Amino acid sequence: MSGVSPPQAGIIGIRRLSFHGSGGSLFGIHIVNVFLTIVTLGVYYFWGKVKVRRYLLHETEFEGDRFAYHGTGKELLIGFLKAVLVFGIPLMLLNSAPQLLGWRPEFQFLAIVLIYAITVVFIPVAVVGTRRYRLSRTSWRGIRFSFRGRVVEFIRLFVLGVLLTTITLGLYYPIFATRRYGFLTSHSYFGTQKADFNGRGRDLFWSYLLALLLTLPTLGLCWFWFTAKKRRYFWNHSFFASARFQSTMTGSLFFLLKLSNLLLLVVTLGLAWPWVVVRNIRFDFQYLALRGPLDLAGIQQDAQAASATGEALSGFLDTGFDLG
Amino acid sequence: MPSEWEGYYLDGRTASRQRAVIRLMRSGLQVTTEGGVTLWWPYAEIRQTQGFYAGEQVRLERGGEISEALVVSDQAFLTDLHRTASEGRTRFHDPARRRLRLQLTFLAAAAVIAITGAFYLWGIPALAALLAPRVPVAWEERLGEAVIGQVAPPARRCDPLRARVLDDIVQRLTAPLGPLPYTFRVLVVNDAIINAFAAPGGYVVVFRGLLEHTGSSEELAGVLAHEMQHILRRHATRALLEHASTGLLLAALSGDPSGAIPYGLEGARLLGALHYSRGHEEEADREGMRMMIAAGIDPQGMVKFFESVLKDRDLPDFLKYLSAHPTTADRIEKLKALARASAPASARLLPDYDWRDIKKICPPPPR
Repeated sequence: MSGVSPPQAGIIGIRRLSFHGSGGSLFGIHIVNVFLTIVTLGVYYFWGKVKVRRYLLHETEFEGDRFAYHGTGKELLIGFLKAVLVFGIPLMLLNSAPQLLGWRPEFQFLAIVLIYAITVVFIPVAVVGTRRYRLSRTSWRGIRFSFRGRVVEFIRLFVLGVLLTTITLGLYYPIFATRRYGFLTSHSYFGTQKADFNGRGRDLFWSYLLALLLTLPTLGLCWFWFTAKKRRYFWNHSFFASARFQSTMTGSLFFLLKLSNLLLLVVTLGLAWPWVVVRNIRFDFQYLALRGPLDLAGIQQDAQAASATGEALSGFLDTGFDLG
Repeated sequence: MPSEWEGYYLDGRTASRQRAVIRLMRSGLQVTTEGGVTLWWPYAEIRQTQGFYAGEQVRLERGGEISEALVVSDQAFLTDLHRTASEGRTRFHDPARRRLRLQLTFLAAAAVIAITGAFYLWGIPALAALLAPRVPVAWEERLGEAVIGQVAPPARRCDPLRARVLDDIVQRLTAPLGPLPYTFRVLVVNDAIINAFAAPGGYVVVFRGLLEHTGSSEELAGVLAHEMQHILRRHATRALLEHASTGLLLAALSGDPSGAIPYGLEGARLLGALHYSRGHEEEADREGMRMMIAAGIDPQGMVKFFESVLKDRDLPDFLKYLSAHPTTADRIEKLKALARASAPASARLLPDYDWRDIKKICPPPPR
């Protein structure tokens, strides 16, 4: 067991996340989930997912206290049904109707355009909905996290990003990725305290270009190094109050992790999945720190954070819309 | 004297935690915080949200959505609680039952292995057999087109006009059967391997190597009759359904639904190498033979072709055909018995066609 440090230890200093769970326990949870999912013809899937998330968060410690997860299987099931209703069924109909009903070619073309349009809107709605839901169901020391970005803004950012990335044949991607990450980070809250992000996409541009050029000579392996650099950059430009995140992860370490995970999964036909999850978490925490002064006692609960309010449609789409 | 435990109290309003002393009483917890406040938590109002696994802290919550919480690091607290509490005990996890839970976990694991094994061996074939006859022919045709697009793209095919002789054979074979749900189409792929396979919806793919290996139109008719029976009996559709269900099974097992779709699609690509069950092969042999006899084609053609397969089995180009159509002396004996039972054919299949010309249908691509 971890020693519980006295409250408010180290107002200034380096703080780290630590993970206490084991692949074995997660495997036990997983195999029972598989059993119950089969027996219930899939319905239990959502409750099983909650069990896994709860375990992972409860085994994560920061400053002597564990995180807590408050989501339920019922919420996930309802979220899934909403997604099927709002996006799944229209997409399926648009996909099959033109051929089955023998529409004219121009209507068939229109249907394809509509499918793309719905998909481009669906992704940002799902990303924001998932983040809003997950953060609102996560707490530490009894204080809930929350996401307060507006989904309309994110749709705008996303659609523009996809268009510009396409027009520039991919060159806009690092700026798009950074803006996307920045939006999601800078609208995240812990209680009353907001997180911040000050990264600029152009800082990643030359690394991205280099990775593009090296794709063929390195058979694509250079992307491990770019991804590591991107993640490091994103963390190093994320703030919480006056403290700054710092990541020391390197491309080689990241590559070795992913390679060994892949080998594990292949050799065990996927059964090693729980151990891979635990390895990924431990890896992230090992190279991540929060540096600088931090006054946790001053953070207040924000009662609005957990209750799902909002206008009709965006509220409908935002809450419990978790597909991740 | 009630027992006391050290823990932390979180008020649900600020991110500061207070040390607390928790006294276990018969009907609830008496909590005294370091601030000197004493709280009464009846067991009936408490829910446990953490502390179900070894090494986890025990976390108790009370109140609505934004709740107060108590955190105790030592799980012996739970054992003590179960000893002390007179009511509402069942709301809390009992570490003493963890052994039982572990046994149940092993039981669940064994059940998963048994269920997936049984499903793979019996469930999937039964399901495919049940579904295949209900798949509309139009869907089979579209599925077949997708498979053909992958395995025999137009660029690799030989000129269909030159291959008209194959259509003549198909017509002879199908004529006695009356109207059929499928329109049979034979495609020749310009490749030296000796192989032929059926795709759903009426497509038969023959590789150049096989064409050149046949010694007469009757031999080729035997191969085509066999493959056409795979289509008529919906073996190909069943094989694809089985493959797709296996993908779903794997996805359920690994908890990753995203892997199932690529696996299912891969089935189309692999169709050339898909294995029919032995029962399906025998059925296609038997019914193919009947089809030849009904069409008045010399059934020895089919026997001869398989004999030549057995004889030349060491040719590297044969590997594919043999892996999909395991050719054994036993199989040939069965074919011979079927052929003996029939009256000999009255005339040759294509008396005006010089079979040596079959090599001209599909000249090898220039190197």
